[in-house]
Amino acid sequence: MSGAGNRELVFPTRMTLGLMKGKLKGAQQGHSLLKRKSEALTKRFRDITQRIDEAKRKMGRVMQTAAFSLAEVQYATGDNISYQVQESVQKARFQIRAKQENVSGVYLPAFESHINEDINDFKMTGLGRGGQQVQKAKIVYTKAVETLVELASLQTAFIILDEVIKVTNRRVNAIEHVIIPRTENTISYINSELDELDREEFYRLKKVQEKKQIAVAAEEAEELAKRQAAEGALEDAETEDVDDELDDKVEDVEGAEEEEDEAVAEDASDAASVPASASASAEASPAPAGKKKKNKKKKKKAASTAVQPSESEIIEDVEKLAGGAAAGSEDVLQENEDDIIF
Amino acid sequence: MPPIYLTPSYILFHYLHTTTYLQPPTSPKMSANEAMAKRSLLAVIADEDSVTGLLLAGVGQVLNEPGKESNFLTVVPGKTTQEEVEQAFDRFTGERDDVAILLINQHIADLIRPRVDSYTNAFPAILEIPSKDHPYDPEKDSILKKVRRLFGE
Amino acid sequence: MEGLFFNVDYGYIEGVVRGYRNGLLTGNQYANLTQCDTLQDLKLQLSATDYGNFLASYAGPLSTSVIQDRLSKKMYAEFQYLRSQSLGKLTKFLDYVCYGYMIDNVSLMITGTLHDRDCAEILPKCHPLGWFETLPTLSIATDIESLYSTVLVDTPLAPFFKDCLTVDDLDDLNIEIIRNRLYKNYLEAFKEFIQKEFDGPDLEIMTRLLDFEADKRVINIALNSLNNPDLSPEDKTSLFPQFGRLYPVYHKDLALAEDVEQIKYIVESIGEYLELFSDGHDANGGSKNIEDWFYLLEMQYNKNAFTQQFTLSAVWAWLRSKEQEVRNITWIAECIAQNQKNRINNYISVY
Repeated sequence: MSGAGNRELVFPTRMTLGLMKGKLKGAQQGHSLLKRKSEALTKRFRDITQRIDEAKRKMGRVMQTAAFSLAEVQYATGDNISYQVQESVQKARFQIRAKQENVSGVYLPAFESHINEDINDFKMTGLGRGGQQVQKAKIVYTKAVETLVELASLQTAFIILDEVIKVTNRRVNAIEHVIIPRTENTISYINSELDELDREEFYRLKKVQEKKQIAVAAEEAEELAKRQAAEGALEDAETEDVDDELDDKVEDVEGAEEEEDEAVAEDASDAASVPASASASAEASPAPAGKKKKNKKKKKKAASTAVQPSESEIIEDVEKLAGGAAAGSEDVLQENEDDIIF
Repeated sequence: MPPIYLTPSYILFHYLHTTTYLQPPTSPKMSANEAMAKRSLLAVIADEDSVTGLLLAGVGQVLNEPGKESNFLTVVPGKTTQEEVEQAFDRFTGERDDVAILLINQHIADLIRPRVDSYTNAFPAILEIPSKDHPYDPEKDSILKKVRRLFGE
Repeated sequence: MEGLFFNVDYGYIEGVVRGYRNGLLTGNQYANLTQCDTLQDLKLQLSATDYGNFLASYAGPLSTSVIQDRLSKKMYAEFQYLRSQSLGKLTKFLDYVCYGYMIDNVSLMITGTLHDRDCAEILPKCHPLGWFETLPTLSIATDIESLYSTVLVDTPLAPFFKDCLTVDDLDDLNIEIIRNRLYKNYLEAFKEFIQKEFDGPDLEIMTRLLDFEADKRVINIALNSLNNPDLSPEDKTSLFPQFGRLYPVYHKDLALAEDVEQIKYIVESIGEYLELFSDGHDANGGSKNIEDWFYLLEMQYNKNAFTQQFTLSAVWAWLRSKEQEVRNITWIAECIAQNQKNRINNYISVY
């Protein structure tokens, strides 16, 4: 099994063909759905990117204002309060709550700021001097951090969406450029292979028929020769009998040909028996010709027995397919569809 | 003849539908929801002024538990080494499971730029913020860099 | 008559201080500074003043913190010079001036020790004017009790500690309360010292300045503790220095006040403080907030302090003016650096 491009390793049977067709249909459906999903996500993604860009710029401004409020604190208190602030920290007043948001089947996390007003580590900071500014800076910075949290939500959504879109696109591409072509290849391979088998079969039958006709013709000729030889002794009176016999024989051969589709082996033996019985009346047939024929028959028999099991299997398979595969393939399709529906 | 390979299509489609949600690789077993619910803090790596301001907003948390002493690192130029910054970065992004967002000054992120750029996890989110003396430069931001790369600018 | 022998001991110092005072930036110079577009320009402008080439040795990018650092260093150097030249009651007076900064440093050290910080980390953060030789030894103390006794034995602040704080307070109380309590004791002791040692215009000026300082603290504490349930009115009163124009009548009311309006009402009954709360709420649009008013008022007092000759209070007035000047320049530098030019005129210039 080589050549034939990229396809799956399957036996070219009608059942596989049915499976493959189901698979192709599923893949196409999945492809269109995934494509749509990817488009929806990309739209959202572009939207988010836009917002990130804006938010980042806004953050620049907000943080500047915040930094300036700290400068005011410094101006008011006269000295640096950072050490004091760092040492007063105990418990986070500003916390994050993460929640999820469903966008086209993708869960995007969103951060929410949560401020616990009960916690205030800086109640005393700047008590004697600059407390007002400290509180003001606290408010400004709280706002700034809220902006930062929003931005972080967007950014996380960005990262996740980016990844999901990449994965989805990879799948879309995989289906479009690998799975669908491969399935199509497999289908056409199976088709061509089945056609090939049909042609082989047809050719073989033709060949068999041809051989038989040759054999029949040869026997007839022999018979004719014999009869002509006997004619000298038996005179014309017997000629009619022979003619009748001949007619029978031809009919036999034709019937055998019809039967051949069902059982080649029988047919072969039949065909063999016909000339045998035909020659039974003339027991003293010439040895070399009979031997030759037998040899040929043997060869044929060997050939037919070699092919026979696989052929009969194929036929069985095909029959099965004809009966059961219709339902089976439907099942497969059904399953595929179930899977595809998101 | 090789054995018959017939991938049942339903397996394929099953595969298509898992892994749509990305879990943080640090906690593969924990469900994403649980992991997120635990993350409630902001961590800060910044210069003194930024840290002071953010602490004023109330993001700071100091506990006595080992490994969770404080969720902020003050970077003093000339004193704090790059290793310390990297360690803090690893601590906040990797070891601690209660950090939801890491705020880092852009000029400090520049010190460990390769680390920041190669960080791809969704949790914790990393946010580059400007500092007083270093205004925000969108050119350097690793996220915006990604944005630009995506749109081919 | 009191000026007759003044110059024998203090003439030189006063001369130096008045020289320093003339070096303070004037309104014109401030106007020039505000026109600067970059910190480099600012540096250039400042080099034409008394600060000279204070940034000459600094290579690297300018930042406001660097500028502030250098400005302060120059001020400290000048003050240290005065201190080393002083004698008699002036030495004592300058010591008292320094105690205020020492309180800041000691509370810094206490905070650090309580949080197990490295003393090498804290010492650079200490205020140079509040430096005393035994300051680093504070960090040796490992537990609170030994810290307390170290403070008592080793620091000049012992008298302020002795009667108001116990070992337990150090552990339980917020460091801010400790600091403010110390400051209250310090101001009271300072006042006492002034009344004992100074006379004439000197006493008059210093009393006015200290009264103002006390009132400023009282008002600030009252304001900043408005929404703080941790601080009872009694606690607040214990932080108020027991003198000043608001003492004793208004202290109780201030401690009980529950909103800004009440405080405003009380404070405005003092004529000179009438302005304090005007525009106090709207601090954004370039108008002055209460802290600005305090600074302005203080600077006016300081300026007036120079009108009298033969006074030691000139040193205090100069130091305060200089501090304000550093703040002003830092503010202007900050506005330039952060591109917030609309607020740049918020500095206070009286000279």
